[in-house]
Amino acid sequence: MPNTPPTDRERFVTLMLPHLDAAYGLARWLTRNDELAEDAVQEACLRAFRFFGSFRGDAPRPWLLRIVRNACYELAERERSTRQSDTFNESKHDAEAAAPGAVLVLPVNPEAALIARAERDQVRACLDALPADYREVIVLRELQGCTYKEIAMIAGLPIGTVMSRLARARRLLQARISETMRQEDTGT
Amino acid sequence: MNCADAGRLLNAYADGELNLESALPIEAHLETCARCRASLEGLTALRGALSAACDYRPAPERLRARVLGGLAREAAPRAPAPAWPARLLVALPGLLALLITGWLVVTEPWKQTAPQAAARSHVVYHMASSEHAGAALRTLKNLLDAAPQMKVVVVAHNNGIDFLRRGAKDETGHAFAATLREFRARGVEFRVCTNTLTRRRIDTADIVPEAVLVPSGIAEISRLQSQLGYVYLRI
Repeated sequence: MPNTPPTDRERFVTLMLPHLDAAYGLARWLTRNDELAEDAVQEACLRAFRFFGSFRGDAPRPWLLRIVRNACYELAERERSTRQSDTFNESKHDAEAAAPGAVLVLPVNPEAALIARAERDQVRACLDALPADYREVIVLRELQGCTYKEIAMIAGLPIGTVMSRLARARRLLQARISETMRQEDTGT
Repeated sequence: MNCADAGRLLNAYADGELNLESALPIEAHLETCARCRASLEGLTALRGALSAACDYRPAPERLRARVLGGLAREAAPRAPAPAWPARLLVALPGLLALLITGWLVVTEPWKQTAPQAAARSHVVYHMASSEHAGAALRTLKNLLDAAPQMKVVVVAHNNGIDFLRRGAKDETGHAFAATLREFRARGVEFRVCTNTLTRRRIDTADIVPEAVLVPSGIAEISRLQSQLGYVYLRI
């Protein structure tokens, strides 16, 4: 036994399973449901294994995360009737409707201090409430530490879109957190 | 460079995605423009808040077991099927042994508590001085080379924050910037104590974009250890 060449499964386990934590972390944020996240990761790993023959690259993590991401959206789509989530589409559309060149230079930011003292739960709730395509880029960048290039690969976006979407997503999230803090300050 | 140009690139700058050539004009602009500095501060604050709010949670062991089980089932049809029942009988004891070993490896029943399991892969580095930051980062690199999946959080306070200030250099005069970017790319997080900044009157814009702010360094270290099972290291 010890001298036989590794099977596909052994190679898969060696290459891909070290990224299971990353896969699960991403899935939790995309599905916003721990159980669904596990199902999505399980499904994605099997799918990845089936397509393992087509994996040529030297970057197993983005390759796997891309499959995880797609599995999450498919599962979430199936669950949609129970978890209707796009409550904040309106604010998203507002943000997107703003003049594209001007979006980043917004009112000076006295919000830094406000954001710095937000409670963890409040930050998490605001991130949870972001529209999925905004939440996705933030989670990939901030929580998974992906580079723009990796995000582009995982989310299937041009790199320029990654950059502008991340900027918008952060701006929206900043606004949501500040709003939460202000409401708290005024006791509403 | 004007504010509009700087604003367009500010996120990429904060994310360490710009090369030196593109980053320098922004840094020059930030020197003179309080408004853009405030935007950068807002970004840094947001990143700090996210990093503190959203802790790394490893995949549960049962998920790992589920995936391994699924893979085994998936791979099974490709294995040569036993030709006749007698062969199955011969294989049975071996199969049973394999299953039991598999169960032991997957569930590790002798490891009972979750915090211990988490502790094996999480390390918090405490930096209270920057005097030997170069050496500390080298040990960190060795650690990551030996255990690439290790989750490492570096918490800096007191003089330990100095190596995370813009333009900081190690004992031999090399800038830390490139090393820090490399560590970020490997998933290491740097968290800076805001109390220290306030006490030492250091502007948040003086901290490199690779680091994020936490309210208190010491509280952060305690939290990582007590609530999330991180192993504590001090170099």
